[in-house]
Amino acid sequence: MRKKKRARTKIIIVSVLVVLLLLSTILAGVIAPHDPSEPCSSAIRLAPCAEYPLGTDNLGRCVFSRVLYGGRTTIAATFLLVLISFAVGTIIGILCGYYGGFVDKLLMRVADVLLAFPQMVIAIAVAGILNGGMTGAMIALGITMWVSFARLARSHTFTLKNEAYIQAAVFAGKSDLYIILFHIFPNLLAPVLTQALTTIGTTMIGLSGLSFLGLGVVPPTPEWGSMIAEARAYIQIAPWAILGPAIATILTIILFNYLGDAVMDYREI
Amino acid sequence: MQDKILEIKDLQIAYDEELAVKRASLFVERGEVLCIVGESGSGKSTVIKAITGNKQVKVKGGQILFEGEDLVPMKRKERQKLLGTRIGLIQQNPAGAFNPIRKFNVQFKETLKSHSLPFILEKLNQLFVTLGLKNTTGILKSRPYEMSGGMNQRIAIAAAMQMDPELLLCDEITSALDVTTAISVTDELLRLKNERGTTIILVTHNLGIAANIADRIAIMSKGEVIEFDTAERVLHDPQQEYTKSLLRDVPKLMV
Amino acid sequence: MTYLLEGKHLNKTFQEKAKTTVALSDVNFYLNKGEVLGVVGESGSGKSTLLKAIAGMLKLDQGALFYNGTEYTGQKPRQTGKFLQMIFQDAKSSFDPRMIMERSIMESGRGAKDPERVKELVRLVGLEEELLQRKPAALSGGQCQRMAIARAFYSNAEIILCDEMTSALDVSSQARVLELLQNLKKEGRLSAVFVSHDIALVSMLCDRIMVMKDGVCVEQGVTPQVIGNPQDPYTRILLESAERQNIK
Repeated sequence: MRKKKRARTKIIIVSVLVVLLLLSTILAGVIAPHDPSEPCSSAIRLAPCAEYPLGTDNLGRCVFSRVLYGGRTTIAATFLLVLISFAVGTIIGILCGYYGGFVDKLLMRVADVLLAFPQMVIAIAVAGILNGGMTGAMIALGITMWVSFARLARSHTFTLKNEAYIQAAVFAGKSDLYIILFHIFPNLLAPVLTQALTTIGTTMIGLSGLSFLGLGVVPPTPEWGSMIAEARAYIQIAPWAILGPAIATILTIILFNYLGDAVMDYREI
Repeated sequence: MQDKILEIKDLQIAYDEELAVKRASLFVERGEVLCIVGESGSGKSTVIKAITGNKQVKVKGGQILFEGEDLVPMKRKERQKLLGTRIGLIQQNPAGAFNPIRKFNVQFKETLKSHSLPFILEKLNQLFVTLGLKNTTGILKSRPYEMSGGMNQRIAIAAAMQMDPELLLCDEITSALDVTTAISVTDELLRLKNERGTTIILVTHNLGIAANIADRIAIMSKGEVIEFDTAERVLHDPQQEYTKSLLRDVPKLMV
Repeated sequence: MTYLLEGKHLNKTFQEKAKTTVALSDVNFYLNKGEVLGVVGESGSGKSTLLKAIAGMLKLDQGALFYNGTEYTGQKPRQTGKFLQMIFQDAKSSFDPRMIMERSIMESGRGAKDPERVKELVRLVGLEEELLQRKPAALSGGQCQRMAIARAFYSNAEIILCDEMTSALDVSSQARVLELLQNLKKEGRLSAVFVSHDIALVSMLCDRIMVMKDGVCVEQGVTPQVIGNPQDPYTRILLESAERQNIK
């Protein structure tokens, strides 16, 4: 019990931090001292000072404001992507696990093929073909992301469908749809959601990575990855321009990974 | 003169905060079979966990005397040395004791090695014969997942016994087995006792099994040892109402 | 004469790679209304396969099954569930861990939901109504098995198939569940096939006993005859080990 309590406190603390982070990006319009895409010729590459807490970049834009607005893009895109992959993957996984047979074999072989390549390589290729934009980057990552959800949901469904209570529901004459919706889905939601939490970090790296390579957002929209890419050019002169988005990315990923781990630990106790 | 190999005095054991065993006093003499009988949640397995020093449980009071030496304040390392070489443990699920896909051969040798004891096939063979296992080499070449539950349970006993412990702790080892298999496993335990003088503590929820092999019986209920006496007395002259009900509840052949 | 449930020449083999296991070899049985048929055997004897075959959970290689004289061979559990219900060995996992008992029990009914009847049945199996609001984790194994009996009755199925339903329970909970079944039988409310590895247990409840070994029914007869005058040597072995557990 004590262990459980400790794990719960851990989750609460991390959740509060996550909420603070989300709030600060959502309320970017209120918090940000400057317009994120407004260049200012008199404030080029200024070091952090009272007016520009994280300094300014090559075009005199406020790095702090850009980090806040950029967080919006990165986090919103990440959440959306994880959500869609989660939904698609879970549905496919449940159907494969429940019915098995030819479709299951086919989809799982497709999954195997997708997993055979490094995720980033596929993503770069696809994003390149789709030619830019956040949507393109999301599709590029989503192509392989659903697989982990599908596999997890499938293996859980596999175990669940042999549970005695599922058998009992069959004897009660319940339809497959009913069993999936009311017995299988609720019982595998927790582990798959936990998986979703732990993938948030990697997804964020993936999206920022694509933007860094110029395959994500189109400038001047602020995004952490693309900000790092731009600021890389003058890192010796204005290292703050790269430190802002870099630290933001690292902190966010650590925070979400930690949350995922905490929830996983809690579930295992 | 009594020769108590293990004695438990006023033992209190807890998982986290709550006491799972409130008051337990019992002993077993060398070369005897003691059965601890109770329902699930009575604390009977907790006592075994306390003896083996399982990390899940904390001893809150009392003593566990092994040959007169208290195990409770003993250092972890010393205790682990005792465990295995002098005290053997078999659990309900034999699969838990073995890696399902590795040959028994390797697993037996590894256990011996970790206690720096030599592997002597002849000795093991003898043990296998006592346990009613034929074809020692054949078994050693196979893997746990290929075996039935009863077979695995016997091999688990062999694994625990190969280090010749003086005291063998058996935690619900017959509960998952068929009646016929369970009876033959208890027969083999009896043979261990007779041929090697091994002291055995068997935890079970079935008084019928206990009646088959016990010299002494301890009845546990709600964390307390409520009756402890020779098997003869407990089975034929039970003092507690609860013991009587347990006796009634053993399924009896109706002719 | 038609029986409530009948199986004729049931055959089933399992093929696993190079290994062929005969699970059922020409097994015949029948069950009358108000009767409990016991099936005894060790693990691997085919007794659970027999039960699964009766319930339509697996496809028979050969043989025919009849309910009230009408053949139902090949029907799946969704259809057979109308007249038979299964009670499983693992009491807790026969209820959805996320649902309260009341909902789980009502789910087994095919008609309109009737909470009053659920309460009535829960009292019948000797439990308090309050337990209906709990989830399976908050009940003991014995309580779950009683709930399973209540659920089987709620479904209005005439036949209950019990697959080792007490072997995961403590001796004392087992005795209580057995008492309940004995009472239900006495009241004429129970027609069941009771599968167990414990011949003593079976002898206390069943009117007739089938002894199975390696997929073959080696002996079948009324309880006093099988217990008192066993014909097959294997039955004698089973009886001997049961005898050993009797406390003299």
